[in-house]
Amino acid sequence: MTRFRAARFVRTVAIAAIILWSLAPIALGVVTSVSTQADVRAIPLHWLPDHVTMDPYRGLLGGTADIRAGGTVSETGAFAQAMWNSASITLISTLAILCVAISAGYAFARLRFPGRNVLFWVVVATAIIPVFTLVIALFQLLAEAGLIDRKLGLVLVFVSTSTPLAMWLVHNHVKELPTEPEEAALLDGCTRWQAFWHVVLPQMRSSIAALSAILVLSVWGEFLIPLLLTSTSASKPVAVLIPEYVGKYTTNYPLLAAAGVLALLPPAVVALVLNRHIRGMLSGSS
Amino acid sequence: MDRPNAASTNGIVLERVRKEFPGGIVAVRDISLEVHPSELLVLVGPSGCGKTTTLRMIAGLEAVTAGEIRIAGRLVTNLPPRHRNVAMIFQNYALYAHMNVRANMGFGLKMAGMPKREIRARVDQAAGILGLTDLLDRKPRQLSGGQRQRVAMGRAIVREPTAFLMDEPLSNLDAKLRLEMRAEIATIHRRIGAPTLYVTHDQTEAMTMGDRVAILRDGALEQIGTPLELYEQPANVFVAEFIGSPGMNLLPAKLDIDTFDDAWYARLGDSRLLIPPKARAALRPFAGHSVVLGLRPEDFMPSEHLRDSQSRIIQATVTRTESLGSESLAYLSINGIANSQPLLARLDRRTTIQKDTPILIGVDIDRLYFFDPTNGTTLK
Amino acid sequence: MVAPAVIVTAALVLYPLIAGFVTSLRSGDVALGEQSRFVGLGNYGDVVSSSTVHEAVAHTLVYVVLAVTLELALGLIVAIALHHVFPGRGIVLAILILPWALPSVVSGVLWRRMFDPDSGLLNSVLMQLHLVSHPQVWLASRTWALAFITLVHVWSVLPLVSLVLIAGLQNIPDDVYSASAVDGATPLRQFRHITLPLLRPSIAVALTIGTVWAIKIFDEIYVLNGTALNTRSIVMEVYTTTFVNADFPHGTALAFLLTGITAVLAAGYALAFGRSRT
Repeated sequence: MTRFRAARFVRTVAIAAIILWSLAPIALGVVTSVSTQADVRAIPLHWLPDHVTMDPYRGLLGGTADIRAGGTVSETGAFAQAMWNSASITLISTLAILCVAISAGYAFARLRFPGRNVLFWVVVATAIIPVFTLVIALFQLLAEAGLIDRKLGLVLVFVSTSTPLAMWLVHNHVKELPTEPEEAALLDGCTRWQAFWHVVLPQMRSSIAALSAILVLSVWGEFLIPLLLTSTSASKPVAVLIPEYVGKYTTNYPLLAAAGVLALLPPAVVALVLNRHIRGMLSGSS
Repeated sequence: MDRPNAASTNGIVLERVRKEFPGGIVAVRDISLEVHPSELLVLVGPSGCGKTTTLRMIAGLEAVTAGEIRIAGRLVTNLPPRHRNVAMIFQNYALYAHMNVRANMGFGLKMAGMPKREIRARVDQAAGILGLTDLLDRKPRQLSGGQRQRVAMGRAIVREPTAFLMDEPLSNLDAKLRLEMRAEIATIHRRIGAPTLYVTHDQTEAMTMGDRVAILRDGALEQIGTPLELYEQPANVFVAEFIGSPGMNLLPAKLDIDTFDDAWYARLGDSRLLIPPKARAALRPFAGHSVVLGLRPEDFMPSEHLRDSQSRIIQATVTRTESLGSESLAYLSINGIANSQPLLARLDRRTTIQKDTPILIGVDIDRLYFFDPTNGTTLK
Repeated sequence: MVAPAVIVTAALVLYPLIAGFVTSLRSGDVALGEQSRFVGLGNYGDVVSSSTVHEAVAHTLVYVVLAVTLELALGLIVAIALHHVFPGRGIVLAILILPWALPSVVSGVLWRRMFDPDSGLLNSVLMQLHLVSHPQVWLASRTWALAFITLVHVWSVLPLVSLVLIAGLQNIPDDVYSASAVDGATPLRQFRHITLPLLRPSIAVALTIGTVWAIKIFDEIYVLNGTALNTRSIVMEVYTTTFVNADFPHGTALAFLLTGITAVLAAGYALAFGRSRT
């Protein structure tokens, strides 16, 4: 019995370690975000701040956290704007990707048309191309189209980089579904589209939820692409803005931490709410 | 061959329907048949014979390579399924998993734009007929196999279709349930009265359920007729062997003509069987050669009851017996044929037979069948 | 139904790729108004012989090897700890995912507080424990910087690897363990002779995922150390060349070169692991 108890003890320790390891940096960030700069710089270390202040948040959201904060942020109201940019870009991109990937994934899985296999593998193959290659190649094209530093440009790029993989996941899932209910629906008076809408989609609810969650997380956290394709706060997402709060010589850590905490809230909420779906898709689709 | 009658076009009519798949595979070869308006026609055959493909072409789920399909007089060959007003019952029920029973049954009507009140009325009525009234709010996963199949039937009858298609609907059910559902399907069919095409690989199902039975092999129609016609007058060796359980015994036999007696005999090893005079005409071309002899296991009898027994018995040795209680099955090895294929005989349970004993078994020579050894056609 | 996906791919992927490839074969700074000339593989030659590129490749190799090793080792421990059911498992798994769900720049930012020379946590703790006498500039030293950046990267990717390994563990039927216990196997032996071999496919997948993510490493470096030479990865090098130095021809050439290598690696992986699946 002692062997089992020892094993269980070790496992409990491991679990505690896992929780600590996962949450500590986030906790640290939260604590830092409500401290004053003095507290942060104090040596010896102040584990908890002497003075709790909401100034960093007020500064960020109220738009007064500008160049005096250190770093290169020079526009007032930049943070709120960036959060809005991220939100709208993420939402629109996710919706667009879902529409394209789901309809294409279904079509490739169920319909028969000439060139189906070739087209499918061509699209999927593009998923292997490293993103940075694609972005560099896209840069000139977008520049000519006047889409640099515009949210629409970002959305287009995200759609093109994420669709192949999303479509492949949808295609695999649809292939696993039985065809008879769809055929029954065709006999019951449905067109292909209606059968898809009434019979197939409801069956895919949970994997669509998972896919959406993963897309949201991936687009919200994208850094390199928007770094290259945005320059002003008109289109800059939060991920690009945050490193600008890092100063060349000194950094206003409370402010930086507050920015980080605000930026991690939406993905954290999505991950916690949909975590079972996400887990399912991540561990199953590999 | 079943030729469509121009006057009776209210059923399902197939005219030289052909299905070829890319790669040259011919699944259905120029089949012509007709399902009469109130009839239940069973399409039966071994796996891969094309019966399901034919069914799916009638439903519109599979494109037709050549030929025409008419339902209730309308040409439907190139119409999508939703315009054919046909209902189909699938082997795996194919219920809409996320809808409850009521919604499943009403779906087709909803798609047709019927008012809700009418949908509700029809669904309730069908549920009553099928005993589903208490289950209307359940989801498919909460139902047993038999209940699911009933929901599938309810979904079909609620639409009052012009034709019914059934794709092995009982194959997923256990034996006892299968018997129950067979009766239920037959009852419903009589009640609804629409032409029904029923596909199965089980010849017992075919014989018990079909008003007529069509046998398919390798995409071609071998024979079509009532169950009794197929049993008594098989067109060829394939049909003869397929119908009847256990299947007909088939053996090569040499035709001897004894000009002295003016008697014709079929020689099987040490035994010879008298060939009835009425069969001579068909066998004339094969005199002195071998033909395929067919004898059903149920057409044997104890030899004591035969007069003129010399030419109506087979000398054999019993190699195995199986007692089913209601009857006995005997596996016989014919004397005089090396490595003889076992002859299967169904005997009355009172007949005592023992393994490894010689036996003289009587044959009803009026029930002998003869087949052309080159192409299997029945010689008659 | 398929049209949108195909059009998107053609317009936004294939065409730019071809156009980009053409750029990589020419030289001349268009911004400065120079005429662009065709230099064939000249850019590629420059890139292959550049010492900063060599360093970046070396750094990336370090990142990959270090990150993947840590991810597999820690991932196994996490997977073993978490694959059985216990009360609260759902919550623990949800927490486990968090680091992966966060944007990697935010991860970099959260960890940055640790390594900052002035107000960093690490320095404060070490000084309080009298292990160092004055604040260290960790990220200035190549070794330490590489190590810490890898740490941050592993923090982000570990959840993904752990999930893959958990799934793999759950696919091993319990009967196998029961049978081996009856045969007298100790837990350690079970691990070596049953768990590890049966986990091979999952480990292969985890290896692939870890490698792919590590090769792409960029965000963490940017936040922690910017474009500093001592920690540049391949992607960082491409970024610096193309956008900081505004040298599109060379940057594009480097990017395509790396795409080619990645493709070869992917094919190699597919062949190697495709076989082991039997």
